[in-house]
Amino acid sequence: MSTTLRHVGRTRRWPVVGDAIYDGSRIPARVPTVLDVPPHLRDTDDVLTVNFGPNHPSTHGVLRLIVDLDGEEVVGLSAVVGYLHTGFEKNMEQKTWWKAITYPERIDYVGYQNNELVFVLAIEKLLDIEVPEKATWTRMLLCELNRIHSHLVFLGTSALELGAISMFWYCFRERENILDLFELVAGQRMHTRYFQAGGLAEDIPIGFFPEARKFVENMPSSLDDYLTLLDRNKIWLERTQGVGLLSSDDAIALGQTGPVLRASGVDWDLRRDQPYLAYEQVDFRVPVYTGGDVYDRYRVRMDEMAESVKIARQCVDRLERMEGEPWIADDRKVVLPPREELHTSMESLIHHFKIVTEGYRVPAGEVYVAIESPRGESGCYVVSDGGPRPWRVHFRAPSFAALQATATCSQNTLIADLIAIVGSLDAVMGDTDR
Amino acid sequence: MSDPTRLRDYGLQSERLLWPTKGPSRFEEELGVEELEQALGITTLEKAVRWAQTKSMWPDTFGLACCAIEMMSIVGSRYDLARFGMEAFRSSPRQADLLIVSGRVAHKMAAPLRQIYDQMLEPKWVIAMGACASSGGMFNNYAILQGVDRIVPVDIYIPFCPPRPEALMEGIIRLHEAHLAGIPPAYERKQVAT
Amino acid sequence: MSDFSKMPGYVSTKEEHGEATVVVDRAHVRDACAYARDELGFNVLMDVVATDYLGWAGKGVSGYIGTASGRDLNAPMTQGLQALPDVKPARFSVSYHLLALRQGAPRLRLQTWLEDGDPVDSVVPVWPAADWFEREQFDLMGIRFHGHPNLARLLMDDDWEGHPLRKDYPIGGEPVRFSPAE
Repeated sequence: MSTTLRHVGRTRRWPVVGDAIYDGSRIPARVPTVLDVPPHLRDTDDVLTVNFGPNHPSTHGVLRLIVDLDGEEVVGLSAVVGYLHTGFEKNMEQKTWWKAITYPERIDYVGYQNNELVFVLAIEKLLDIEVPEKATWTRMLLCELNRIHSHLVFLGTSALELGAISMFWYCFRERENILDLFELVAGQRMHTRYFQAGGLAEDIPIGFFPEARKFVENMPSSLDDYLTLLDRNKIWLERTQGVGLLSSDDAIALGQTGPVLRASGVDWDLRRDQPYLAYEQVDFRVPVYTGGDVYDRYRVRMDEMAESVKIARQCVDRLERMEGEPWIADDRKVVLPPREELHTSMESLIHHFKIVTEGYRVPAGEVYVAIESPRGESGCYVVSDGGPRPWRVHFRAPSFAALQATATCSQNTLIADLIAIVGSLDAVMGDTDR
Repeated sequence: MSDPTRLRDYGLQSERLLWPTKGPSRFEEELGVEELEQALGITTLEKAVRWAQTKSMWPDTFGLACCAIEMMSIVGSRYDLARFGMEAFRSSPRQADLLIVSGRVAHKMAAPLRQIYDQMLEPKWVIAMGACASSGGMFNNYAILQGVDRIVPVDIYIPFCPPRPEALMEGIIRLHEAHLAGIPPAYERKQVAT
Repeated sequence: MSDFSKMPGYVSTKEEHGEATVVVDRAHVRDACAYARDELGFNVLMDVVATDYLGWAGKGVSGYIGTASGRDLNAPMTQGLQALPDVKPARFSVSYHLLALRQGAPRLRLQTWLEDGDPVDSVVPVWPAADWFEREQFDLMGIRFHGHPNLARLLMDDDWEGHPLRKDYPIGGEPVRFSPAE
């Protein structure tokens, strides 16, 4: 199915330096990420500057918003980030490729498998290594489960902020089931570090598939529960419909991807349009809504959860037939040999020693790999010099781009709507600050 | 000085204030002086206050990074924190007793962290949750504070990355036990950052 | 792949791992980006990345350079003579990752090279998304973007000195004792 988009054909001569970005744009012209107080209000005493400091009741981590209020209306806004800057990129330059895989998971700590996946895919692209099918399908299963997990956290926390407090407990109940699955397969609830350059770290343990099947059978009824609770609730509808509007042109100009872009009417999903892993072999639908408001972003994520359950079911079906297949590539220069071989084979011992101490070497080059994480397009730009350590790693964070749209979405809104908007952009501060 | 356990060691004698040389009463002689307090459920004011503080130690919403997600899951229904009376996460530090520093603390965030800690009223406790809050974790670099105990005194350190909810619960329970046993909060014990 | 040679400031093209990298001259970056957006249809700016190549092709990339399929039999074993990667034109490269929202998801990397202290024209008038991307690269790498409406530090403290991601900036942190002997 081709994605015909009306906006691409319409190329305007945008002014190179000017006041308006383009006609019909709601992007604040001077600095796109700052909403300036209008001139007629600046000299009055009515404007109150409030600091939504890095520690605030809403559960979005350490985002600081400096908001100018005229009564209850937001007339000025600027976001200050960096309170969780961890220096991932510099830290990863000091570690070997093997050790560096531990780091990307902590960047987007709600959709952690996706970050790990994008870095491992980048290494594999540079190495030009072929990943066995079982590993591909398991990665897909875990990433889709992680997508459900991430949307559940979004739903629970956004609903909590808007006052629908019970949703938090419902969503986290299902989330515990997903984390149980992760613990079954990888040994740890969060930050599983299960993906390896070349496949998976370990085989899928016995007893995983019945549990996974139980989960995918029970999840759709839970999703119906959430829809029943929220979707016809008048208060929820009034608080989310018509709030935080973002047009499709503005979304594209601001570099938005993922649910924010799809809720603004642009039919774009990397899983379908630039398939990675085995997404072209599974059947799923991409939800697109045209309203561009908070309600549509919520609906996109709800529908995506249902689609992810579908994909997960297809992955479980496929994986159950792959019992006994290899889970990691066979290349001994990159992948550790199985431990039984270390007792009998000299070459295996040497390979094991070299890989563990010095690390495998990745050929020189630069790649940019992008996947569809729950927040949008998550990309990894890796520059290798041919040595055992990365030269430069940079992560394209979807939350970073999403927060740039805060100023555009928050025009002519009340301060209570600002909470809904920031929640609907679903920005994770670890992802933003890296 | 031995730990005072008996009422009389605190000077809590009613009629003996007026009659200092009065010996134990008939009641006390029959029951035994030591068992009287246990049998009747008498306790000292300090112990009672400590028990009450333990049973409703409200945390502050200080979730920073990945550990915050695990901290949110102990409020969930599987690892229910409400049975300890702690599900009321206060947004204002003035109403909070416990600061669970969950996540890596960047240098930029260190000043707000100290401000929040200063705004809390005594008695207050700090739990350093996770490896990053305890020691900087895997991020030994220019951006991350190598352990939150450089700026606030910490009572309990919880390892792992991120700790399981049960690990966090164990840390909280140990804090409760320590407080019940009479160990004062960290700002009285430690010389650092008070 | 379409023909990139008509791009303003075009220097060279490279295709590797299925990705196209077009190198443009530093002075024509904004025109090249506008050309890419309007003529070639790359309407989304995904990322702006700066890379510091200080110390590139120095020691450390020596010895056996292997590939995934084993030893490259056509290249001689280095035997102490270092097989170096290709030399880079300047110290810093700034890469703009672009995406076209159409069938096949074509991507493009526009790259420009500059030395320390050279300014690059900001592409905020072309894509407003570049605002924070460029601020982040200024903050962490010290690349000055000429014409950026608000070039200030974003991720580090406002009064931080130095640009942390540069190769001559130390990793920081504290020394860790792994045994009592240290």
